[in-house]
Amino acid sequence: MPKVKMPRSTPSLDMTPMVDLAFLLVTFFMLTSSFRSPEPVFVDPPASTTEKEIPKQVFLVTIDETGRVFIDITNAAVKEKVLREMIADYKVGLTEEEIKKFIGSGPLGMRLAELPSFLAQEAEKRAKIAEAAAGVPYDTANKIRSCELYNWVLKSRVIADNDFRMREASAQEKNQSFDKDNYMQFAVKAAKNTRYETVKNVVDVLREARVSKFQMITGLEAKPE
Amino acid sequence: MAEIQGGGDSQGKGGKKRAKKQSTRVDMTPLVDLAFLLLTFFVLTSTFSKPKVLRMIFPEKLEDNPNIKKPEVRDAVTILVSGDDRIFYYTGQISNATVITEIDYTKDGLRKLLKEKNFQLLSELQKLQVKLNEADEKDTAAVNQIDRDVKKLQKESKLVVLVKNDDKATYKNIIDVMDEFMITQVAKYFVTDDGFNAVEKKLVSQIPPKN
Repeated sequence: MPKVKMPRSTPSLDMTPMVDLAFLLVTFFMLTSSFRSPEPVFVDPPASTTEKEIPKQVFLVTIDETGRVFIDITNAAVKEKVLREMIADYKVGLTEEEIKKFIGSGPLGMRLAELPSFLAQEAEKRAKIAEAAAGVPYDTANKIRSCELYNWVLKSRVIADNDFRMREASAQEKNQSFDKDNYMQFAVKAAKNTRYETVKNVVDVLREARVSKFQMITGLEAKPE
Repeated sequence: MAEIQGGGDSQGKGGKKRAKKQSTRVDMTPLVDLAFLLLTFFVLTSTFSKPKVLRMIFPEKLEDNPNIKKPEVRDAVTILVSGDDRIFYYTGQISNATVITEIDYTKDGLRKLLKEKNFQLLSELQKLQVKLNEADEKDTAAVNQIDRDVKKLQKESKLVVLVKNDDKATYKNIIDVMDEFMITQVAKYFVTDDGFNAVEKKLVSQIPPKN
């Protein structure tokens, strides 16, 4: 019996649809994804049923389980101005390059005096130092107005207000539409196990700087029926 | 895998030299590799859900404005938040004879209590919600009227809830309580600055822990 010969041909597959799909997905993810900003500490916030999303511009105060405070300002222009005023007040010398580095370096969790030596380090070392930092110092009771956190908050509030008014004025001048809700708000992100007293003490510092509306960042929980 | 299929047939046949017929197929394997690599990268690094926020308003400090008196609260429900996820409540003014009851964070605990206490406002709000659902969306006047009614109801709400915490309470406990307020639509609640007073401390310490 003659052998049945199988046709010898290299199995070839048309991959065009697959590539199409793959690139479609890549494009989708590229456009929709927002990257996680670098965080020196991982903080697991409690969950709530609210559906309100975090505002675009925030002054973010992160409080970890041990009570360390990290601050960040999402608006880079405001962040720069605040830093310039802070280093002038506290007489800390920073070069232009270091200021630029600071703006891209994520949340701050140390005394202002430690900044120059911190920014002089390489990026990898900086991440480790930021992780081990002691947090932005804050105080309670009658020393509240002399602590660094208070000054950060106060300056940010004033500068963000000015920034908002300037944007509004320039939009009016050019007859552009202006998003009135796009102002800096104060968000607090604290870990589940942080003692409430700690959160309250930090909030008190912000209240001293005449901030009274807070956006408490929470995880998502299903709404009850 | 896909590969270039060289037009080998035309070679060596006859004397005529024909121009080689080049196949237009391109090996797409590397392209696919790259596409999936990028895809995996973006899938793993992207964060989809934006964090949610719970709005909390803290009043200005009383020292700043001596003209503001602390509100006198008579028939308030006071919720005492303590460590180990324990939570208690009592109604009215505190005295040695006040009964403090331990509740919990489940839906049969705090939520049931708040729903019962807030029954009046909740049922009124539900009626308005039904009205709102029936109302024509384009009829802005009607919608605004309902909005005003809701605000009026909230303002006139008789239920006042005070939240007190001791130094052992965690942030999660307070957020859970706030969340229950949102769910049961309690209109007037305050988180007080001062912790438990002496009587509250004594009464709470007398309640043995469950289990």
